[in-house]
Amino acid sequence: MKYKDYYAILGLERGATDDAIKKAYRRLARKYHPDVSKEANAEEKFKEVAEAYQTLKDDDKRKAYDALGSHPAGQEFQPPPDWQQQWASSGAQRPGGQPPGGESSFSSEGFEGLDLSDLFERLRGGGGRGGRGGARASMPGEDYEIAVPITVADAYGGTEIDLDLNMPEYDAQGQLRRVPHAFKARIPKGATDGQRLRVPGKGGKGFNGGRNGDLYLNISLRPHALYRANGHDLYLDLPLAPWEAVLGTSVEVPTPGGAVRLKVPAGTQAGQHLRLPRRGLPKPKGEPGDLYAVVLIVVPSVLDDAQRALYRQLEENSTFQPRAHFSEEGSYAS
Amino acid sequence: MRVELTEMLWFEEHVVSLSELAELTGLPAATLEELVSSGAIEPIDAAAGEPRFGAVALSAARHARRLREDFDLDTQALPLVMGLLERIDALEQQLRSLRARSPGRRSVP
Repeated sequence: MKYKDYYAILGLERGATDDAIKKAYRRLARKYHPDVSKEANAEEKFKEVAEAYQTLKDDDKRKAYDALGSHPAGQEFQPPPDWQQQWASSGAQRPGGQPPGGESSFSSEGFEGLDLSDLFERLRGGGGRGGRGGARASMPGEDYEIAVPITVADAYGGTEIDLDLNMPEYDAQGQLRRVPHAFKARIPKGATDGQRLRVPGKGGKGFNGGRNGDLYLNISLRPHALYRANGHDLYLDLPLAPWEAVLGTSVEVPTPGGAVRLKVPAGTQAGQHLRLPRRGLPKPKGEPGDLYAVVLIVVPSVLDDAQRALYRQLEENSTFQPRAHFSEEGSYAS
Repeated sequence: MRVELTEMLWFEEHVVSLSELAELTGLPAATLEELVSSGAIEPIDAAAGEPRFGAVALSAARHARRLREDFDLDTQALPLVMGLLERIDALEQQLRSLRARSPGRRSVP
């Protein structure tokens, strides 16, 4: 088992007061809580902070943690020989804290494969998230939420992802173990940014008849070089040469389902959206989203003499006044 | 290690009652009722006899539970925080939509 320095995670010395612990937690929660934070790795950071706080805010758990001694963070270690008797089982003897199978909370072969947090999960007290600290006879499994970034192609055609979750679970003997769960999950086509999928019963295992928790997948779309997604609609920049925009043309446009021809009408303006119906991302039900080509008018930066002469000729012949509205009666005048 | 293929449910299709919502989220029914009356959690059909809650409500309720636990929020502060976060979400959605619609800043050759 790897040692975690809960004090260091909260930025505290070992002898910190309860008040200091609470203050440190509040400050870090404000900074890293995934619901309010924009920091990179906020979720991971907050998990560490919350785990440290759940243990240190509870008197018994804190004593049990202190009794593990101090080790460098990340170093493999074993709890002292009498630690289990003193802490793990004494916790279990409290009212309602009977361990499911026997006297001891952890398997006799030791702490192999357990996470440090699992040790404290079994101690009665402040409890973990949702108060599911092992105190009740029957408890529902924990719900889990994971972020699943997918590509535009995945959203278009659906995909399968490999999930490899490692959850604490009680075995038939009532001993806590980390059990790896590997399974494939099919992401149906039409999943897009900000959507959530629920996988019933795939969260933490319920204990003693409690229902299994659910797994929630939060879908996000990875940025694409060409498409920008807005719900199920896609937006694509369509650069046009000035003469294409003026005279109209037909261009080949990439879409997730393959290239299509798009008619650009004569007199197309920059910023105009040309709609390709149903060429966006599919929806689970109903018509697919649309693809919009956003017109950009781009000009060549290098001209040869003949081309420059043609532009000059156009300039001399044209009566077009792109800024005519500047001299109209404006809002200042009246 | 068992490998299996799991079908997903569209989160949007999940409909629950208030007591199921309480069980799913671990929030006391009284707190949920408070959140409903403040508008932080909305039933699908407010006019119906027993309120039914959809995916958005479930998501909001789970969110509320996290916030309440992690920040020690009371019944007054919780709907307020939920309301502000909802506004941020709406603004971010608007921003994303505007970004998608306006031409990219990538330089063109």
